Amino acid sequence: MKGPVFEDVVVGQEIPTVVKGPMTTAHIMRWSSAMENWHRIHYDRQYATEHDKLPDVLVNGSWKQHVVVQLLTDWVGETGWLWKVSFQFRGMNVPGDTLTAWGRVAKQEERGPYGVVDLAIGLKHQQGDEGTPGAASVVLPRRNGPAVPYPFDPGMLGRAKA
Amino acid sequence: MSVNYITDEVKAVIGAESEAIEAYHAVEPSEVRRFHHATMDPARRYWDGEWAKKSRYGGLVAPPAFPVHAFRRAPDAPDPLDQMSDPDFDGRSRRMRPGLPPVEVPLVRLLNGGYDYEFFRYARQGERIFLKSRFKDIYQRDGKTGTMVFVVIEDFYSNERGESLLKTTNTLILR
Repeated sequence: MKGPVFEDVVVGQEIPTVVKGPMTTAHIMRWSSAMENWHRIHYDRQYATEHDKLPDVLVNGSWKQHVVVQLLTDWVGETGWLWKVSFQFRGMNVPGDTLTAWGRVAKQEERGPYGVVDLAIGLKHQQGDEGTPGAASVVLPRRNGPAVPYPFDPGMLGRAKA
Repeated sequence: MSVNYITDEVKAVIGAESEAIEAYHAVEPSEVRRFHHATMDPARRYWDGEWAKKSRYGGLVAPPAFPVHAFRRAPDAPDPLDQMSDPDFDGRSRRMRPGLPPVEVPLVRLLNGGYDYEFFRYARQGERIFLKSRFKDIYQRDGKTGTMVFVVIEDFYSNERGESLLKTTNTLILR
């Protein structure tokens, strides 16, 4: 449950991936029904392919975003905080796809008594195509430093060095 | 020449802000369970009450971006499935947020372009969630498949004590 401390992180480091799949229509249905999402492109194959000219029913973008969030909350554990994450849904995913959420440390910076780590992130399918490129910032404790407070207030970070 | 979808009527809703809208029901344990089952995220903070009590959260919480999905249909709201016999109905309401006016653009396909999240705390199970939304921008671009309209919405989620949960910026694409 304990995540990394700031000093253990290096720029270029890959964080542990989160892998989901192969995705099936049942996985898509389970999410859509849990969220009461009636968007036809997720369960009506004829509508998806003929009306919306899509390759098949689609894995929900709304589902993929939580996989990216899980990648980061798993990594920072209960001692760090996922502060910001952004991503674009550029690639479509269909039943049969296996998705790998990945992250690479792009930058790290001491902010007050804590450390902020910026990452490049994404969600690749089995052929390696990147469909959900994005970026994230997490807050980690420093070695021998105070715990990252919860709830999180960005004002506690102190000013970034110019 | 591409069609101008950003009519005066559409421009008039840019900047529109909603009042704080309350989700129909509080965060339910069963709803959280179905969520973390569907996302295959077994983190203890969602289901292990004993563990959660001693954690920094002080009790069971919902996944970080759960509030985005918390605005369910009220029992007396119109049934979205009533429109399903229309072969062109995609199953989604054009009312993009509960408190914002519809964006009157005659494009039938709707895609989620992406999200930008900032997290402050996780919603506790049993808490009530409130949402304030704003149309940050609406603009069009020409793409390979024709003109697309981008609707950028800022959302701010809080609980019944006014404590901030998360802030999001969501881009929806009509094409």
